[in-house]
Amino acid sequence: MELFKSLLTRARLYIQVTHISDIARRYFVKNGMDGSMTVLGIILGAWTAKVEQPNIIVMAGLGACLAMGVSGLFGAYLTEKAERRRQLRTLEQSMLSDLEDSLHQDASEFVPAFAAVVDGLSPALTAVISLIPFMLSIVGLLPIWDSYMISVVLTFITLFALGLYLGQVAKERMWLYGLQMLAAGVIIAIIVFFLGGLEPV
Amino acid sequence: MQHSIKRVVLDVLKLRDPPIAEFALRLCSMPDIEGVKVTLIEIDQNTESVKVIMEGDSVDLDYVQKMMKDYGAVVHSIDEVEVGKRIASD
Repeated sequence: MELFKSLLTRARLYIQVTHISDIARRYFVKNGMDGSMTVLGIILGAWTAKVEQPNIIVMAGLGACLAMGVSGLFGAYLTEKAERRRQLRTLEQSMLSDLEDSLHQDASEFVPAFAAVVDGLSPALTAVISLIPFMLSIVGLLPIWDSYMISVVLTFITLFALGLYLGQVAKERMWLYGLQMLAAGVIIAIIVFFLGGLEPV
Repeated sequence: MQHSIKRVVLDVLKLRDPPIAEFALRLCSMPDIEGVKVTLIEIDQNTESVKVIMEGDSVDLDYVQKMMKDYGAVVHSIDEVEVGKRIASD
């Protein structure tokens, strides 16, 4: 427990020193939205094609989730690693000495991993929320066509919640940000509706 | 009889993060240190020059320098050192 506390204190210090919380917040919302929108596209596409097997949608959704997660994980890790290395060199030049074994060097190694986890998990988290009704369909708890409706509603709620969070970050009208996020989802739904002649059952 | 250092005044160059309050708290958490005062002298884009006064029963200068390095700071000079049972006046 003591070790855990000390690790947590150290992690907080790294986050404070590198100001990674701002970047992590952006990664979380942007990729969370990506996850929701991708799965929304899959669900609406499947609905248009009248797919009746929930396992197909769940596997397609999880596959997309996994791809986004791995892409986010590696992308964020390598990007942050390069940025932090560069920043560390700049700090060393300012100090006219190396920062070997310092808090800043440790932080520059911790931060890419932290950013990668946020970037990798956020799309998976939001995508899984949208897929829950289909998982319930697989075990026979929900009819497939109800799953479509509930899933789309859940996705809209997720997008709205991400918007509310952004509104809280901006300290402005939260509902306005929520509606803007929701609008993105609604636009996708309308486009798929017109393209595929979607007929909700 | 072996005397120990009771008070030191250091000229330190540190990175702007962690901020001086956090920096002072970390220095004060060292063993045998009873008080720390950090005064901002000059501020730059990435660095701060600070005057650090540390008082305690036994100030271990090597450990202070190690701690400073850990927090991204370097001791430029040791400006004052006070040793003994009583603080010597000017």
